[in-house]
Amino acid sequence: MESHFYLSLLPEALIVSMLNPEEFGTYYAVGSSKKSRGQAMFFEVDPGYRHEYFHIDEALKRCVPHEDGRPKSSIYVSVYRVLEHIDPDALLDLHLTTQDGRTLALKASKTLPENESGLHLYQEIVPVTPLVVSRLDPLSFFDLIVKNPTSLISVPAIAFAELQLGELANDPEMGMLNNLPYSNPDHLRQCLSDVKTKFVSTKMVDRTHSPVIPYRTIKNGFFVGNSEKLRYYPMPSAETLRSENYRWFRSASM
Amino acid sequence: MDYQTWLYVGIAGGVLSIAVAIYLYFWVMRQEPGSERAQKVASWIRGGANTYLKRLYTALASLALILGIVIALIFSFNFETIGTTGIIIEPGSGAVMAACFVIGALCSAAAGYMGMRVAVEANVRTATAAQKSLQRAFRLSFYAGAVLGLAMVGLAVIGMSVIFLLTGDAHSVLGFSFGASTLALLAKAGGGIYTKTADIAADLVGKVEIGIPEDDPRNPAVVADNVGDNVGDVAGMGADIFDSYVASAVAVMLLGASFGAGMQYKYTVIPLILCTLGTFASLLGIQFVKVKEGGKPGTSLNRGTIITCVIFVAALLVLSLLNVIETGIFWSAAIGIVTGVIIGFTSDFFTNDQYKPVQETSRVSTSGSAVTIITGFSYGLISIVPSILGVVVATLISYYVAVGNGLPGIYGIGVAAVGMLSISGMIVSADAYGPIVDNARGIAEMAGMGQEVIERADVLDSAGNTAKAITKGFSISAAALTVLALFAAYAEVVKANGLDINISLREPIVIAGVLLGALTPPLFSALLMLSVTHNAFDMIEEIRRQFHEKPGILAGTEDPDYDRCVGLAAHGALSSLLLPAFLAVGLPLIVGFVLGPNALGGFLGGAIFTGVIFALLMANAGGLWDNAKKYIETGKFGGPGSEAHKAAVVGDTVGDPFKDTAGPSLNTLITVMSLVSSLFAPIIAVFHLF
Repeated sequence: MESHFYLSLLPEALIVSMLNPEEFGTYYAVGSSKKSRGQAMFFEVDPGYRHEYFHIDEALKRCVPHEDGRPKSSIYVSVYRVLEHIDPDALLDLHLTTQDGRTLALKASKTLPENESGLHLYQEIVPVTPLVVSRLDPLSFFDLIVKNPTSLISVPAIAFAELQLGELANDPEMGMLNNLPYSNPDHLRQCLSDVKTKFVSTKMVDRTHSPVIPYRTIKNGFFVGNSEKLRYYPMPSAETLRSENYRWFRSASM
Repeated sequence: MDYQTWLYVGIAGGVLSIAVAIYLYFWVMRQEPGSERAQKVASWIRGGANTYLKRLYTALASLALILGIVIALIFSFNFETIGTTGIIIEPGSGAVMAACFVIGALCSAAAGYMGMRVAVEANVRTATAAQKSLQRAFRLSFYAGAVLGLAMVGLAVIGMSVIFLLTGDAHSVLGFSFGASTLALLAKAGGGIYTKTADIAADLVGKVEIGIPEDDPRNPAVVADNVGDNVGDVAGMGADIFDSYVASAVAVMLLGASFGAGMQYKYTVIPLILCTLGTFASLLGIQFVKVKEGGKPGTSLNRGTIITCVIFVAALLVLSLLNVIETGIFWSAAIGIVTGVIIGFTSDFFTNDQYKPVQETSRVSTSGSAVTIITGFSYGLISIVPSILGVVVATLISYYVAVGNGLPGIYGIGVAAVGMLSISGMIVSADAYGPIVDNARGIAEMAGMGQEVIERADVLDSAGNTAKAITKGFSISAAALTVLALFAAYAEVVKANGLDINISLREPIVIAGVLLGALTPPLFSALLMLSVTHNAFDMIEEIRRQFHEKPGILAGTEDPDYDRCVGLAAHGALSSLLLPAFLAVGLPLIVGFVLGPNALGGFLGGAIFTGVIFALLMANAGGLWDNAKKYIETGKFGGPGSEAHKAAVVGDTVGDPFKDTAGPSLNTLITVMSLVSSLFAPIIAVFHLF
C-alpha cells in the first residue's frame, strides 16, 4: 500500500498515512474508535519531499498495515512548527473536509486573485489563529506579515484564508450582514470602521479565533507561503460547488 | 326527488369517489418506480410504515373490540326515569350501536390505510418523476394525495348514508362517528408522537451533534423520520379530517332528528346532501389542479381549492332555487365554506415567510433563543384572533340566517360546519400531497439523485408546507363549529330523555364542569409532548450508541440499523396513548356520571374553548418557528451556522411537538369528548350522582 504525506492545518501537523486523501479526510473528520472529530484542512505533500527537521523515513518504516490487513491511518511525524519547514512547492492539492467527513480538493492557481476595492477579513490558520480586518489586499497582507513586517510581529510562514465581508467591505456601518454568520457583528463593524477611518492598515478582531471556518464564508480562497513563495488555492464559487460537488456543498452549508 | 332518494345519490357519489380513488391508485402504481437504489430506500420507509401500522391497528382493533362490547352491553337497554325514583328498563339496540361503532372505526382505519398505502408507493415515483419534470412530479404526488382525499369522503358518505338508510336513526350514525373519532384520536396522537420523536432525535444528534445534513442516509433515524411523515401527516391527518367530517354531519343530523314530526327526516338528511355536493365538487375541483413546468405548485393547489368552493356554492344555489334546501341553509353553508377558506389563508399569514410574523421572529433570533421563543409564542397567540373572529362571524351569521328562515339557529351553525368541511375531499388531497413530496425529497437525497431533482422536490415541498398550514387552520376552525353543534346536539339528547338541561355559570356544579373541561386540553397536550420528549430521549441514546459502536456509519463503510429506531418510535408512540385516550373517553363519562348532565355540559364548554385556543396557538406558533428557521437558512440574518440560526433551531425544536403532535390532536380530542357525551347522554340523564 502506498504512503501519503499530509500537512494538516487543524492542528498543524505532518502525518504519514496509507489512506488516500478522501479516506484520510473522512478518518480525520469523523474519527475512529478514538472519537476525535471535527472539520479538517490538509495539504497533500509531495512524497519525495524531505527536510532534516522531520524524521520522515523513520515514520515511513512505522507506516505499515495493521495485522488484519487494514491500512495504517496515521503516523504523526511532527506537530510543532511544521509549515515553516515545508517548501511551498512541495504542497500538492489542498483538501477541505466537512465535519461529517466529505472532502473537496482544491488545486493551486498560478495567478493571484484580482484586487478588489474595499476592506478585507482574514482568518489566519497557521501558525497562529487571529481574525484580522485589513485595508490590504491578500498579497500585501502576506507581505506585511511574512516578508516585510513594519512592526515586531511576523511569522516565518503562514496559511490564511480571506473571508467574505459582503456589503460591510465598503460600508461597515450600514451594510447588511445577510448570509454571513459572524458572531458579535457590532464589534466586527467597529474594527472595520477603525481600519477605514484611522491610520492603521490592519486590526485584530479576535486574538484566538477558532480556525474552524464555515467554508461558505471563504471569499477568494486560501493562501500559504513563506518568505520565498506564496501559493494560492482559489475556492470555487457556490454555484460551481453546488452543481459539481453537491454532497460536499450541502455538508459545508450546514 | 324525495329526501330518501338523496341518500341513494349520496351512496352513488361515495361509490364514484372511491372508484376514482382506486383508479388513481392504480395510475400511480403504473408510474416508473425508479432506480434500484431509490426503490431500496423507499422499501425501508414502506417497511417502517407497515410495521407501525400493523402495531397500531392491532392495538386499535383490540380497543375497538372492547369498546364495541361495552357499547353493545350498555345500549342493549333503554333507560327512562319516572318521577324522581323510578326507572324503566326496556330492550335497546346495543348490537346495532356496537356495529355502527365498529364500522366507523373500520372506515376511519381504511381511509388512513389507503392514504398510507399510496403515499409510500408514490414518494419514490414522485422522486423519479422529478428527474424528468416538475409537472410530472406534481401531478403524480397530487393524484396520490387525492387517493386519500377521495377515499375518505367516499367512505364517510357511504357509511353515514347506508347506516341512516338501514336504521332510520341519527343516534346510530352517532355510533359510527364515535368509532371514527376514537380511532382518529389515537391515530393522530400516536402518529404525532411517532413523527416528532423521530424528527427531533434525528435532528438533535444528526444535525446538531454530528453535523450531517437532513435526510442523510448515515443517520440511523432517517428512515423513522420519513416514516413519521407518513404516519403523522397521511394516516393521522386522514383519520382526523374523516372524524371532523363525519362528526359535523352527525351533529346536524342529531339536531335535525330533534325537529317536530314530519320535519325530522328532511333536516336529518340535509347534512348528507351537503356532503354529497361537496364530494362531487371535490371530484371536479381536482381536475383543475395542474402546474406547468416552472409554474408554482402552491398557486395551483390554492386554485383547486377555490374552484372547488365555487362549484360547491353554485350547486348549493341550484338546490336552493329548486327548493330542495331553504335559503337559510344555503347561506349558512356558504358562510361556513367561505369562512373556512379565509381562516385557512389567514393561518398562512402567520406561518409564511413573506409576511411580518416570520420575518420579525427571524430578525429577533439574532438576540438569542429566548427572544425567538417569546416572539413566536406571542405571534401564535395573536394568530388566534382572526380564526376566532372568523368562527364568531360564521356562528352569528349562520345562526341568524337560519332563524330568519324559521329554523333553529343552532342548526344553522351546524350547517356552517358541514359547509366548511364539505370540500374535505379537495382539502385532504392537497394536505396529503405534502408528506408525499417531503418523502420524495428525502428519497432523492438518500438515493443520490442529483441537484436538479432535489431542487424540484424543494419547490414541491414548499407548496406542501403551505397547504399543510392552510389545512390546519381550516380543520381547527371547522372542529370549533362542529363541536358547537355537537354541544347543542348533546343538550337536545339530554332534553329528549326528560331532563331540562341548565348550563348556567351561576350553578357551582356547572362551574366545576367548566373548570375540569378547561384543564383537559392543556393536560392532554402536556401528556403528548412529554411522550415526545421521553421517546426522543430514548431514541437519541440509541442513535448515539450506533455512532459510538459503529464508527463505519459516519465513514460510509457501514450501514446503520434503521429498524431499531423505527421500532423504538413505534413502541414509544403506542405505549404513550393510554392516558390521553382515557382523558378523551373516560373523563367526560366520569364527569357525567358523578357530577351530572349540567356539569358535563359545562365540561364540554370549557374543553371546547381552551381546546380551540390551544390548537390554534400550537399549530400556528409551531409553523411560525419552523419557517423562521427556514427563512434564516435562505441567507438572512447570518444564514446557517449563525447565532440567529442556532436560536431559530431551538424555536423550531420547541415548535415541532406543538404543531405536529399536540396542536392537531386537540380538535380530535374535543370532538371525541363531545361525541362520547352525546352518545352516553341518554344513560347519564338517568344515572348520575348530582
